[in-house]
Amino acid sequence: MKKKENVFRTLARWLVRWIFGLRYEEKWFGLKEKKPAEVQFKDGVPDDSELIVSPGKQILHRFLERKFAVFSVFVVLIMFAVVFIAPHFMTKYYDAFTETTQKDLPPTLDFMNVPGELKDNIKMIDSYSSFSVGLSNDGKVYVWGIGGIGATGIDVKQIPEEVRSAKIAYVAAGQDHIIAIGEDGRFYGWGSNRFGQFEATDIVRENPNLEPIPEEVSSGSLDVNHIKKVTCGYQASAILMDDGTLYIWGNKQTYANMDKFIGRTNILDVDFTLNYVVGLDAKQTSVVTGTKGLFNKATSTIGGTKAEKMSDFLNGRKINEVRATTTSICLLLDDGSIALTGDFQSDVVDVPALEEGERFVDIQAGSYHFTGLTNLGHVYSFGGDHYRQAEAPEVNGAKKIYAGAFQSYAVDENGKLLDKWGLKGYLFGTDDRGANIAERVVAGGRITMTVGAVAVIIEIIIGVSIGLIAGFAGGWVDIFLMRVAEVFSAIPLYPFMLILSSLLSRASMTTDQRLYMIMVILGILGWPGFAYITRAQVLVARESEYVTAAQAMGVKPLRIAFKHILPNIVSVILVNMTLSFAASMQTETSLSFLGFGVNYPQPSWGNMLSRASNAVAAINFWWQWVFTSAILIMTTVCINTIGDTLRDVMDPKSSNDK
Amino acid sequence: MARYIVKRLVYMFLVFFLLTFILFVLYHLMPANRAYTDARTEIQTMKKLSEEEKATKFDELYLKYQRLYGTDTDNNLILYLRWLGLYPYYDGHYSGIFQGDFGFSYDYNLPVVEVVPVHMRNSFLIGIITEIAVLAITIPLGIKCAVKKNSRFDRFTQFFTLIGFSTPSFIIYIVFIVFFCSILHWFPVSGMKSPGTNYTGWRNVLDVLHHVTLPTICLTFGSLASITRITRASMIDALSLDCIRTARAKGLSEKVVIYSHAWRNALVPMVSIIVGGFFGTISGAMILEQMFGFKGMGLLFLSAMRTADYDMIMFLEVIYTFIGLFSNLVTDLCYGLVDPRVRISK
Repeated sequence: MKKKENVFRTLARWLVRWIFGLRYEEKWFGLKEKKPAEVQFKDGVPDDSELIVSPGKQILHRFLERKFAVFSVFVVLIMFAVVFIAPHFMTKYYDAFTETTQKDLPPTLDFMNVPGELKDNIKMIDSYSSFSVGLSNDGKVYVWGIGGIGATGIDVKQIPEEVRSAKIAYVAAGQDHIIAIGEDGRFYGWGSNRFGQFEATDIVRENPNLEPIPEEVSSGSLDVNHIKKVTCGYQASAILMDDGTLYIWGNKQTYANMDKFIGRTNILDVDFTLNYVVGLDAKQTSVVTGTKGLFNKATSTIGGTKAEKMSDFLNGRKINEVRATTTSICLLLDDGSIALTGDFQSDVVDVPALEEGERFVDIQAGSYHFTGLTNLGHVYSFGGDHYRQAEAPEVNGAKKIYAGAFQSYAVDENGKLLDKWGLKGYLFGTDDRGANIAERVVAGGRITMTVGAVAVIIEIIIGVSIGLIAGFAGGWVDIFLMRVAEVFSAIPLYPFMLILSSLLSRASMTTDQRLYMIMVILGILGWPGFAYITRAQVLVARESEYVTAAQAMGVKPLRIAFKHILPNIVSVILVNMTLSFAASMQTETSLSFLGFGVNYPQPSWGNMLSRASNAVAAINFWWQWVFTSAILIMTTVCINTIGDTLRDVMDPKSSNDK
Repeated sequence: MARYIVKRLVYMFLVFFLLTFILFVLYHLMPANRAYTDARTEIQTMKKLSEEEKATKFDELYLKYQRLYGTDTDNNLILYLRWLGLYPYYDGHYSGIFQGDFGFSYDYNLPVVEVVPVHMRNSFLIGIITEIAVLAITIPLGIKCAVKKNSRFDRFTQFFTLIGFSTPSFIIYIVFIVFFCSILHWFPVSGMKSPGTNYTGWRNVLDVLHHVTLPTICLTFGSLASITRITRASMIDALSLDCIRTARAKGLSEKVVIYSHAWRNALVPMVSIIVGGFFGTISGAMILEQMFGFKGMGLLFLSAMRTADYDMIMFLEVIYTFIGLFSNLVTDLCYGLVDPRVRISK
């Protein structure tokens, strides 16, 4: 039984033919039945000269013969769909987003890819910005994520040979370094040592802003069994012993209050925010920062309740653990509840309401989020949620939790990974402000395509009206309008546009108003082309019989122009519209590239590429321009192909070209 | 012919004044007040005055500077005429472009007329080499594609020109810079000569050449695609003319048919591109010069734009507008040369 042809079936048939070839089309859809009544096409023209095929149908038929053109239509439609629909799904995206720790990261989706050998016997996991370090129960170290540190050539994934052969007891990761302590107490460090992160070189010792690593640590005389905590901050590290002795070293410029912690022996817990070292003193009643008034107010939820003074909030309870993100701190209290202090971002997930009898037994902190483990083995995440790192899945039977910078891992008692959630990575990498390029490509495409489309529409409205009036009215109107068009086409495009847009940048305008103005400028400077084409077409059409007939019937001239002539020249306008669309997009990208079009923070395919004008950045951060320009070129190539093909198939002269 | 040219010239100057007037008015919308800032700086050097004296003195100075700069009126027409040199300043003297005074560049601390020629020479030099190279490559290529239409060679060329035509020029430059500077290290990335050197004679020439080669190559590549496509399209149109069929029927050799008969016809739509291209060399290539730090007209304009060097921008705009209008005139005259059917004197 043959199925009836319909539009969808035809489209599917074309798709199959285009992807798999004619053979599969016949196989899956059967041979196209050749009905005797059907028009036989030869070279796109009906074979039977008796039959009349409407020009529209003929054009469509010939268009569909060009495979690349049909493909281009698909690509452009998909591009349109993506850039106009996808932004509605990027709920976390906003233009001005910046994240210092995520700057200039190459494309990867490996941030959470815990190595297979580690998956079943995890001892600990730590991470700071773009890479994570893991330790297995048999003392082996694994590093995943992005190991390359900027353009320095340092790769933390190259674990030193001595570390690989040693049995490691503790690991911790900082912004650009990793430290490890062997079971025998030996200290290892690798990565960047520019700020004395793991080795006390002479340069480090001489620099008053750097605290060299303590002798006890580097000489390997620490008793591993008495280490309580090993942690790293931005460019600093700390080791806390059971007896409250704290060893801390690194960049004091980042951590101004580090001096207050050096040599302390009464600390119960320690962690790093972005700018402060925070600790817990023996009284367990307040956060020690060495700075007055800092982190001395607490709440139990992020939004809503007002912060109380720490002593009032605690009301006799003791603090057990201090966990710090970039700007905020979570305190685990001795009754299993938590206290929050510090500043939170706007995009947060609030602290969950626990079940009856459920209480937190552990808290871990990432860069912005906290993950908590309860006595029932459930995990909860709360805090900053830009990367969806605070949306914890349902986990049962978790015994330990670890937090990466933007990831969390839940592990059972045997060290088996139960679940992981958070930031996977970036498909197209990140830009120099730490924003996700893939998201900016979509948002920028929306702006670039809108600017191009609106500019063309303005061009068409002005150009076609003026061309129609000039061509149809003739006489002095024609001469005048064509002189005006000449003046406009004599305007040097780029200089004029630069002047206008720099005028705009000095005027106080919102970014949106500025965007509209750019569209209008592009449109106003581009219309003469359409006017010339329309006028030329009208001059031809004016002599046709149908116009004469309309005139004889007494139709008003303006009505003839817009109602009778316009539909007949629409095809030519359509072709030029397509080509102009691509041209406008190119002009916009060039302007934005120069810094005179769409400006940061609004993304556009042009201004996203502006960093690549620096040769060093262009090669080191190749992903910042390769993907964007590839998509830009693909889109314009496809639009131009459509325009070219349309022109070809509409031109009756080129009918037998093939 | 002479009458036509005179007519066009008169028209050209009308349009020129209209455009410069529009630009002038637009530019005066910008919140820049030289008289005010100058009066401010001068008043700050006088420390002995009391606040009240300062205020009166400032008003005095402000008026003095306004009169000096000719901004003592809000009438745009008067301002424009003063700029042209057709309306006297407060003290009765005329100083404008008709007197040869194009203004003063605050960035360079020189009259603009002295700054521009060096840049114009640079732009022209690189532009003219590029233009010749582009035409030497694209015209034979376009003709070959048109003659062997739909051959494998043609399709291949069409594919690449389509990509080239759709690629914004700056992406082509980025690719070239990455390839030749960062990967192969053949050429320096920017500048006109090696920094810190002071070569003379032959070494200087070589050094400049070393710096200028890559921009020239880039500029050439940037315009290859579009001109090839235009050549091909107009050649295809020309080849389908009846006169070509006749020429072939006469038994003329294919060479004569293509290069003498068809090419002459194909040249007509190309005149404006070729002429415009040659005049465009003077205007400079803005993006290219910006990326390579090449001291040409485009870079001059961009930097003037960024620092709001008012007189410089206006002078460059005058040059740009003039070149645009003049090249239109030359294009129309060339049509008459290329196509005897176009009777210019009509």
